[in-house]
Amino acid sequence: MARVASQGYFTQQGRRTLFNAMVYALLILAIIIMCIPIAWMLTVSVRPNLEVMQIPPSWIPKVFTLEGYTKIFDSPRYLLVFFNTFVISLGVTILSLFLGAMAAYALARFNFLGHRAVLMFLITTQMFPLVLLCIPYFRIFITLGLYDTRTALVVVYLTFTLPFCVLMLRSYFLNIPRDIEEAAMVDGCTRIGAIFRTLVPMSWPAFIGAGLYTFLLAWNEFLFAVILIESWANRVLTMAIYSLLAEFVTDWNTMMAFSVLASLPLVMAFIFLQKFMVQGMTAGALTS
Amino acid sequence: MASIRDKYRDELLAYSFLWPSLLILVALLIYPLIDVVRLSFYDSNLQRETFVGLGNYQALLNDPLFWSAFLNTVLFTAGSVILHLVIGLGLALLLNAPINYGFRTFARGVLIVPWLLAPTVAGMIWVLMLAPFGIVNGFLTTLGILDPNAPISWLGDTSTALGSVTAMNVWRAFPFFMVMLLAGLQAVPQHLYEAAEIDGASMLRQFWHITLPQLRSVITTIVLLDSIWTFRAFDPVYVMTGGGPAHASEVLATAIYFDGFQKLKFGYASAEAIVMFAVLFVVSAFYVRRAMSNVN
Repeated sequence: MARVASQGYFTQQGRRTLFNAMVYALLILAIIIMCIPIAWMLTVSVRPNLEVMQIPPSWIPKVFTLEGYTKIFDSPRYLLVFFNTFVISLGVTILSLFLGAMAAYALARFNFLGHRAVLMFLITTQMFPLVLLCIPYFRIFITLGLYDTRTALVVVYLTFTLPFCVLMLRSYFLNIPRDIEEAAMVDGCTRIGAIFRTLVPMSWPAFIGAGLYTFLLAWNEFLFAVILIESWANRVLTMAIYSLLAEFVTDWNTMMAFSVLASLPLVMAFIFLQKFMVQGMTAGALTS
Repeated sequence: MASIRDKYRDELLAYSFLWPSLLILVALLIYPLIDVVRLSFYDSNLQRETFVGLGNYQALLNDPLFWSAFLNTVLFTAGSVILHLVIGLGLALLLNAPINYGFRTFARGVLIVPWLLAPTVAGMIWVLMLAPFGIVNGFLTTLGILDPNAPISWLGDTSTALGSVTAMNVWRAFPFFMVMLLAGLQAVPQHLYEAAEIDGASMLRQFWHITLPQLRSVITTIVLLDSIWTFRAFDPVYVMTGGGPAHASEVLATAIYFDGFQKLKFGYASAEAIVMFAVLFVVSAFYVRRAMSNVN
């Protein structure tokens, strides 16, 4: 009897260990498969172009070279593209968070006429086919004299970043009791003062999450940039990458070096702020 | 007067915070939408506009290229969304298993990276990998599946171009599903599994009768969102194939772009955009209804 019981226990234990081992094995396999494109980008970025297209492929380059990276760092044209993208993304992020927080505050704190309609409008805007907007934007920005300016991109990126920021910040504000602001107002703060002293400092995780996601969307945007930007002086990263692909079909190590550099800021930010980023992702879709 | 001000106090306060965002969004979304509707009834090339009534829509319905782009968009969307769900759910279940906390955080972090890349960057990496002498053919040759003297041109062949772009899109966006479903799994009340354990339910039965029903709401939401996002996607196709070869991978977004900005048929492109908008609107209606019921 005792033997049977211990045997049963043993097999259950054994089964659990086997199950766990399988989970680890499958996860490691998935990581390896999903990382192949990224690993390939990294290894191509440090090998001479002659070694890129070969069958069978090799993972370790025979000759190690940083010529792709030097080409980018030696070219003011490419560096400017990084600067442009950074300035535009930062501008969009600040504007979206500021305007978004204002609107989110109104939606979280007041029960007003049109409340439901505004929410519905904000949710619907996220479903807009962006290519539809390209045709009027092209015409409008030419008329306004803003065609081929970085300002135009900051403005149009608000179409998809602002609704997201409003919705995400609103859902966070809802979880912060309004008593705290009201107490600050009783103590002599103005409403704006109370917001900046209580609500904003208490919602910093939401601001980081929404801000990071906004920055990511702006940094990676391509379609509006293609439509609204013409000159090299105003180009952004995604456009520069595409022009590299179109102009220098075989200069693979420069293209991959450029891709690595273009992805690095987001990956670094993600490593340090993974928690907020994941919150931002989940909130963006689920709370809206 | 004071009483009216008191009565609408909330409205006054709310709109004093709301108006900048509303103004910007109406100017950037509603006005252009009206402009596109108007333009879709004109023959326009920026210089001159002639009213053609429903002419653009008639031409569009008889345009085989439009219909093939439409079909490609549906295939691209269906393929992407289904594979996102399968891969995302599989990985979320693995990550939700009782494994080492540090390893879980590491694995989740590494697996999210494709989603951080710009679609243009991801597309370019795949163009490199799928080239005739690229790594994909290299692997297939090493495995003995492919004859090295007859490499497959994945993006240059009409039968493989759309599938290749879909594969890239699956790789780039599965992390979204993985993260959302993992969050959904972690929200399933543990006592449900404990009760099932006591009743002796197998893992498969637990998955079928507890996990899936509990995830249903998350799954519906992300499937709707992903369908909308993929249906309107432009970057992957434009970067990888430009819609080619011979329009084999053309989707609606790229077709509208080429008709408008290369052939300068702005009226026709507007009509296409309106049809696309109408289709998206129907899917969005489901999503908006769900989202609004969560809101209140």
